[in-house]
Amino acid sequence: MTGDILFQADNISKTFGGLKAVNDVSFALRAGIVTTLVGPNGAGKTTLFNAMTGHLVPDQGSVTFLGKSILGLPHWKIARLGVGRTFQDLKLFSHMTVLENVTTATESGSWLWQTGGRAAKAARIERVERALEATQLVRRRDTRAVDLSYAERKFLSIARIMASGARLWLLDEPASGLDRSSYDRFLTVLRNEVTSGVTICIIEHNLDIVQSISDRIAFLDQGKLLAEGEPKTILSDPALAAIYFGERGP
Amino acid sequence: MSTYIISLAILIGINAILAVTLNFILGYAGIFSLAHAIFFGIGAYTAAIAAMKFGADFTVATAAGMVISGVISLALALPALRVRGEYFVAASLGLQMLAVTVFSEWKSVTGGIGGLIGIPPVRFLGFDVSDPVLFLGLTIACLALIMIVIRALVRSSFGRSLKAIRDDETAASALGKNVALLKTLAVMVSSSFAAVAGSLFAFYLSFINVESFVLEVSVQIIAMVIIGGTGTLLGPVIGAVIVLLLPALLTYLPYLPPTEIGSIQQMIYGLAMVLLMIFRPSGLWGYGQSQDRKGDAP
Repeated sequence: MTGDILFQADNISKTFGGLKAVNDVSFALRAGIVTTLVGPNGAGKTTLFNAMTGHLVPDQGSVTFLGKSILGLPHWKIARLGVGRTFQDLKLFSHMTVLENVTTATESGSWLWQTGGRAAKAARIERVERALEATQLVRRRDTRAVDLSYAERKFLSIARIMASGARLWLLDEPASGLDRSSYDRFLTVLRNEVTSGVTICIIEHNLDIVQSISDRIAFLDQGKLLAEGEPKTILSDPALAAIYFGERGP
Repeated sequence: MSTYIISLAILIGINAILAVTLNFILGYAGIFSLAHAIFFGIGAYTAAIAAMKFGADFTVATAAGMVISGVISLALALPALRVRGEYFVAASLGLQMLAVTVFSEWKSVTGGIGGLIGIPPVRFLGFDVSDPVLFLGLTIACLALIMIVIRALVRSSFGRSLKAIRDDETAASALGKNVALLKTLAVMVSSSFAAVAGSLFAFYLSFINVESFVLEVSVQIIAMVIIGGTGTLLGPVIGAVIVLLLPALLTYLPYLPPTEIGSIQQMIYGLAMVLLMIFRPSGLWGYGQSQDRKGDAP
């Protein structure tokens, strides 16, 4: 239900050598809204994503999804629970077609056939077609990912997570490098998905996007969560603005 | 057909099985193994021992080879659970060296350097198929069956997952793919099918020794796959034909002293590989690979 806590991280820390990339961070993602992680480069946003998805195991703290601990689970198991993510460098399956990229995202098992019979197969095909239509990749379905334009690749990464059926989307700078029309289309896709019940957490640098998409904002700097709240409050805070634009530390 | 041509065709068929099965992990899963000749050898030794000591026919001897090869392949697959790329290559190289030592030193089982002599004529479902033409038919049937199975695997969700792992392991696991398990299964399938080639080889020659399963053989199989085209169904078969026909054709060239043919062959291989990597990095059949990708459905 919208507003319920879907994901909770408590006192997460992660250190690389002597550097505390994430330092005692606690925050929650509520269902059916868009939460944006903002902060200057090196704030620990991607490290936090990696800790949330099992790509990194935090040194301390707890992580729960739908009320159950997912700490220490391998990332493929966390993905199967419904936590999907995209990557800054997209990580598409370059030599597979658009259709294959999206189709494989619908296949939770990887055997000769999928369970569930014809009904499940029809549902998977529908998910694939819906994802391709929403991202306007229908006409590029037989094109290899490596042959797509940059914007199309961005949309393919969204189509893939959409088809996966993930309830929580963690998007790492999904709109960077998009032109204006692609960017508007991108926001529409995300809004439609949120309306249909998906919860989204975005790492984003572009403050226009942050303002237009976010329901809540979490501000990180030097591995610490400095503030969390409504976009209006966070974005109008002069101290946070100073940190964001590199003028002064707290 | 002359005996020589039939013999050449049989050897091409056996090597095509090796190339097709290596391509399953190299081309579709991105697992670069230098140890494929081991599983060829395990299939050959197992089939030979099963036939010599227990009177097993081709079916039983081959099945035994496939099972043992599949189980032993875990020794190669287990490193794949933890390592990527060049580390796996190193691990497979280590296993190749280890296995050759075992083949040559475990004399009570493998016959050591001298090998196993007197493997009985091949029987298939009660019929004697040791006649070269019949044996060629058996070899082609095995190759065709393996290609059909691999085609089905590649077009299934299993195959799509392997290709996803090949292109990006991190993204594949982020979509819920159990990368370690899938890679392990892929290596087991590939190794089991390579044992079929070993069984055919042992029955055909009625003699085997370690010389047929050394590192050079693994490298030659890799050359077949790369020359033909990785990640394609027919490419490795074409590669096997070229690699095995080349020395045969060289013997017909005038003015070439027979003693120099081996060196010239090596030079041509090397030159062909360099030119291929420059002008056709996808291999000779690689440019047709988009055909393989069409028609894949959820």
